[in-house]
Amino acid sequence: MKVLSPDGEKLDLFTVNIGPSHPATHGALRSFVALDGEEIIASVGEIGYLHRGFEKMVERGTFNQVLPYTDRLNYCSAIMNNVGFCKAAESMFEAEIPERATTLRVLLCELTRVIDHLVCVAAAMNDCGAQTAYFYFYNPREVVYAIWEKLSGARLTNSFSRIGGLYRDTYEGFEDDVKNAIAECEHGLLEGLSMIEHNRIFIDRTRDVGKISAEQALTWGWTGPCLRASGVNRDLRKDEPYFGYETYDFETVIGTTGDTYDRLICRVYESLESLKICRQALARLKPGPVNSDDPRLRLPPHEATYHDMEALIANFKLVYEGIRPPAGEHFDSIEAVNGELGFFIVSDGSGKPYKIKVRPPCLTQYAAFHEVIEGGMISDAIISLSSINIIAGELDR
Amino acid sequence: MTTATQGQTGSQAQGPATHQDAHAGNSGFLATNIDALINWGRSNSLWPYPYATACCGIEFMSAASSRFDLARFASEFFRFTPRSADLLLVMGTITYKQAPILRRIWEQMAEPKWVIAVGACACSGGFYDCYCTVPGIDEIVPVDVYIAGCPPRPEGYMEALMLLQEKIKDESYMEQRRQGLHQKVYIG
Amino acid sequence: MSHDQIQNLGPWAEAAVPASLSDRKEAQNRLFPILAEKFGATLDPLDRWGLTAVVAKERLRETIFFLRDDPQWSFEVLVDITAVDYLQWPGHEGARFAVVYNLRSQSHVAHRMRVKVWADEEDLDVPSIHDIWKIANWQERETWDQYGIRFVGHPNLKRLLNHHEFVGHPLRKDYPAQRRQKLSMNDPMVDQLEARLRTLGYQLLDSVPESSPMVEDVLKGGR
Repeated sequence: MKVLSPDGEKLDLFTVNIGPSHPATHGALRSFVALDGEEIIASVGEIGYLHRGFEKMVERGTFNQVLPYTDRLNYCSAIMNNVGFCKAAESMFEAEIPERATTLRVLLCELTRVIDHLVCVAAAMNDCGAQTAYFYFYNPREVVYAIWEKLSGARLTNSFSRIGGLYRDTYEGFEDDVKNAIAECEHGLLEGLSMIEHNRIFIDRTRDVGKISAEQALTWGWTGPCLRASGVNRDLRKDEPYFGYETYDFETVIGTTGDTYDRLICRVYESLESLKICRQALARLKPGPVNSDDPRLRLPPHEATYHDMEALIANFKLVYEGIRPPAGEHFDSIEAVNGELGFFIVSDGSGKPYKIKVRPPCLTQYAAFHEVIEGGMISDAIISLSSINIIAGELDR
Repeated sequence: MTTATQGQTGSQAQGPATHQDAHAGNSGFLATNIDALINWGRSNSLWPYPYATACCGIEFMSAASSRFDLARFASEFFRFTPRSADLLLVMGTITYKQAPILRRIWEQMAEPKWVIAVGACACSGGFYDCYCTVPGIDEIVPVDVYIAGCPPRPEGYMEALMLLQEKIKDESYMEQRRQGLHQKVYIG
Repeated sequence: MSHDQIQNLGPWAEAAVPASLSDRKEAQNRLFPILAEKFGATLDPLDRWGLTAVVAKERLRETIFFLRDDPQWSFEVLVDITAVDYLQWPGHEGARFAVVYNLRSQSHVAHRMRVKVWADEEDLDVPSIHDIWKIANWQERETWDQYGIRFVGHPNLKRLLNHHEFVGHPLRKDYPAQRRQKLSMNDPMVDQLEARLRTLGYQLLDSVPESSPMVEDVLKGGR
């Protein structure tokens, strides 16, 4: 298409679709760009290629039946989504969760954060052509997957958390496995970091590429490592602590320029901080129950139903109707891998959710994406996209 | 537990041309050996087009990585262009928004081509029985092998590839030539 | 680590004092009387756990401007916009839809609240806030897509998640979950790109209906 630029130059722009089926678009995303040679003059984005109707599907079952759907939101870090939803539902009940459950949740969430950051950086390396780095970052995930498999039965979509606690307690040998996994992840991260942190080619590819300032990021609603890379100190674990995060010793990693280099390196350092938290959580694990004994959330012990009328009624109602949060609307969020993952739960007092809206961190990042890439080249756009870690399951729900 | 099952290729209306057809047509020693050679070549160099939309794509990345290594099936380099791939791996939920694109990519692939539907969502829509999801990609493209699982384990990918290799060994290139099925042109 | 050596950390790099739930409640208790007095806000009884201020549609924009710009409150971040359909709510009387704006502050971490606006089935127009926060553009598009709330003043109120040939608003309670709608051809998006070029100051010299020859064929009825 022929255009006249603001400084009076006649340009013949070439329009091309990047996506929705493209190796570097990490799922189904589409950017429609107008190019002058290799430079992107204007671009518009389109999403919805993986819209699977999360909100409509969860209205059909009970609150605990929402958990498999939450798994598949940010599928690289399934346990984090489970825990986020459980936190939101439990805060509606204002229920007490036992200490072992919260410690395990912290441990599993941080390990999940590490493996998600690993896959993000691995894919980013693959996108800028460094295939070796892809394998170095990707392989530690298999060790963690082995743990997930033994713990919950599934490698990727675990559905491990429950409203009121966890699916089950850990298996024998869990602590040794986790220690090994932490060591493997740290080794993989440090090795990969040594390959890229001061690598001239990587710096040339990613420095000053896809820059976004702190003010722009806030107006676009960015959260998570992408916002922190722009220099904004905002981490829900520190600012609005939950699950005892205020008692763990870790640092928030902040960048300075908000470019792709900052976003990717921040993720690696953040993973190292998460491993610190994992070690502390592992040291604190004490034997105890992993589920709350709040009768609104958990079935009473089976023996009690034979002689106690209240236990029998509670059992009946919980099985038939599911758990019933008090009627009302509530929003709660956690610091998920990409940012603030929130759940806006509307409950009408029955066992079926009336509405559950997911506040996806990826949506804010991708909404700004078309502005971020304008002025750069196509390969810059690709690597910027990898650095903001768009997971289509979360973006489109 | 994941299982992979074979499906019907719907692209050839008369059904696939197999060895039985070849023998019925009296093709003889040379033709059957050419068939064997061609099938051996095709089945041992399946170059995948990873059409990853959702969670199954991550398990595919695991299957392709060092531990489970899909490269042992000669699916070494993933051809991200339909023209140089012969295996379309549809991994993840396909929505109605995505469906015309999947169809277009499949049409752009050159013969011979095969399709593997990976995961519950690609096989049947999964547990997203919803206004936006396609209940199984066999509504859009003909599928050769289905892999069950949500997501399937990397071993599931390997079993599917082995099943597909068995299926390919049953095909007969000479019979396809005789019936004129080897040249199909798609417009669009 | 390499970032230690860099001194030019910006104004947002200060760590905040952690806020607890009681800090949040205390801030909300201080805020609500101000909103009630200035904008006629009422408390939403459905929010038992925090503050949801219900304002009239006509006063939405001034409320949002106050909440964002007043230095004592400075709700700089729009967390989410969504709508709720109360069609099947037990014992509900009044407007069918409500649009909920979820706000958060960056400077004061204890500040979180929601603003709610009722929209009746006959009058689904709600003022758009896309110029107040850029992210509101897409979030309003999603609310339009799923619920049918029309945001007045929105530059590009198109569907976000469902395809462009979709008819209806799927998250409404009277839309059956399994009603599928097929798509024949994807949205070429040329008009959106042209609009974007115009926003950037480019003038279009020729206007081609579609840039891809195959798409032209299809539009003319070929294939």
